[in-house]
Amino acid sequence: MTDRVLYLHGIGGLPARSPALDALAAHGIEVVTPVLPGFDGEPGFEPPADHLGWLARAWDALDETGALPCPVIGASVGGMIAAELAVLRPETVERLALIAPLGIWDSTIGGDDVFAVPAPLRHSMLFAGEVPDAFTHAFADLGAEEQPVAQHLAWTAAASLVWPLPDRGVATRLHRLRCPTLVVWGDEDRVAPVGYVERWPGEHVVVPGAGHLGEWDAPDDVAETLRSFLS
Amino acid sequence: VKLLWFHLMPYPALPDDFKATNRSVWVDIPSSLHDPRVTAQAYDDYLDQLEQADRVGFDGICVNEHHQNGYGLMPSPNLMAAALARRTEQSAIVVMGNSLALYNPPVRVAEEMAMLDCLSDGRLVAGFPVGTPMDTTYAYGQNPATLRRKYHEAHDLIMRAWTEPDPFSFNGEFTQLRYVNLWPRPLQQPHPPVWIPGGGSVETWDWCAREQYVYCYLSYFGYKLGRATMRGFWKRVEEQGYDDNPYRAGFLQFVGVADTDEEARRLYAEPADYFYNRCLHLYPGFTDSPGYQSEATVRARVQGMVQRAAQQSSARPGAGGLPTTFDEMVEAGYIIAGSPDTVREQLEHVAKELRVGHLMMLLHFGNMSPELTAMNTDLFARKVMPGLRDVFAEHDDPWWPSGCPT
Repeated sequence: MTDRVLYLHGIGGLPARSPALDALAAHGIEVVTPVLPGFDGEPGFEPPADHLGWLARAWDALDETGALPCPVIGASVGGMIAAELAVLRPETVERLALIAPLGIWDSTIGGDDVFAVPAPLRHSMLFAGEVPDAFTHAFADLGAEEQPVAQHLAWTAAASLVWPLPDRGVATRLHRLRCPTLVVWGDEDRVAPVGYVERWPGEHVVVPGAGHLGEWDAPDDVAETLRSFLS
Repeated sequence: VKLLWFHLMPYPALPDDFKATNRSVWVDIPSSLHDPRVTAQAYDDYLDQLEQADRVGFDGICVNEHHQNGYGLMPSPNLMAAALARRTEQSAIVVMGNSLALYNPPVRVAEEMAMLDCLSDGRLVAGFPVGTPMDTTYAYGQNPATLRRKYHEAHDLIMRAWTEPDPFSFNGEFTQLRYVNLWPRPLQQPHPPVWIPGGGSVETWDWCAREQYVYCYLSYFGYKLGRATMRGFWKRVEEQGYDDNPYRAGFLQFVGVADTDEEARRLYAEPADYFYNRCLHLYPGFTDSPGYQSEATVRARVQGMVQRAAQQSSARPGAGGLPTTFDEMVEAGYIIAGSPDTVREQLEHVAKELRVGHLMMLLHFGNMSPELTAMNTDLFARKVMPGLRDVFAEHDDPWWPSGCPT
């Protein structure tokens, strides 16, 4: 069993740490949870103009943790970044666990556009069940004036990573993947339907009753799957 | 004051139950509702109307750019402007305008507008809108988070292409060109006047003042709601130390003229209802792409025009929704309608109250018939225009195309 993993959060942003990761931590694994650039809602964030710029900014944040090399878990947009890390800097990723990664678009599979609904409804598209309080109250500690600004900036960062379609060509690079890979997918994912699982290499596990952020919808199942993979 | 005739070119045959049976007039409006024969006839009618406006003495005629919608049938305003350049003589041709971030490379805008300026013998006004979120980010897939940076970079490239005499290289964040060397070049030197349609953001006001561009507030909601925005603009102009020449500003207003106020109510109620309840039936999910609004604008709680329209379209009547009757629309100032005296009096009030030298008027809106539009234009020219000619006569308009009669 590994003693440390790095986890990259999904498109919903903060909180960066999910209940499934808490369950892993309860088994004695250190979970390092960097925040992807811009998702912290800090004023002044300027999204990079291109994907390479985004990867460089993301990798700055990952390297700053000092956790690499280690197993990397990435969900949603975090999965896309994690997959890029594994194929472009393979020496940094010992094992790769992806939870409904974005990064491949197939119009025959599609996926709902989380950015084509009114902002208050966006979070509801990410879960099979109710939106967890942690997301409903994200940035609430900033107060009523700044909370909507921070949430706007966090959504801006998320959108800039995957607009207009969540595909920056990672599929053309997946042949470089060298480490053991697990791909976990919720069967009620509306944003990236479960059919995409077949487009990713590695071991596949489909989790019943989970939406796009499956580590929130089915934390015990996802944690157990991850723990088994990491052992 | 300059009087301009602005055409939105709406699709005129949206069904009566459009609002009830469709979620949006923009982006995902069903193509089954579009009949090309209707559009062909509409183009013919609409160009006739703009040509009539030129003949009867309007100072300018205006076209604009929208995509994938039934609100306005002009994905390419430059095509319309080209048609008008050959068929009009006097009016400024105000292309309001090209959404700069949508053109790759943006020198295409510099080229086409230079062509239009030459075709029209120097009558072009170059409008540079960012474009609505529906047009730019959903229909044209631009990343909202970088849209404004791309827009400003395109602007810088276009202005250099128009003004630098020698070939140059351009190393931008979004566009790289080894050789920029514009042929043809604009007839107006150093370049055609630049007008910026904008919302209520302080950044846009400051930028227009600094660059000496005309700021145009294209409001769907009339002069009463536009007052605060224009006051904000003039306050920033003053704070930055520039003069208050009213020709720094443009403002959009719906106008319907008839022989009497009662007749105007009878004639214009239906096209107004068509515009507000069909052409402006916007789905809120298409009006707020993340990053489209700047951080400062979000912090200032400034609501964009299309967001307001979407909110009103989806609200229940009486609960923040649209006015339900034509009288309420007139009372709210959305539409100025009435006898020539009524319209003249109110437009003079608008021009002076908002301090707007360029009144951009929609004398066609919604599904207004060609006959009614022709009558509206004719009545305005004969009975309203003469009474407005002297407003702001003491000011020069350095933002007017040099190829137009002074």
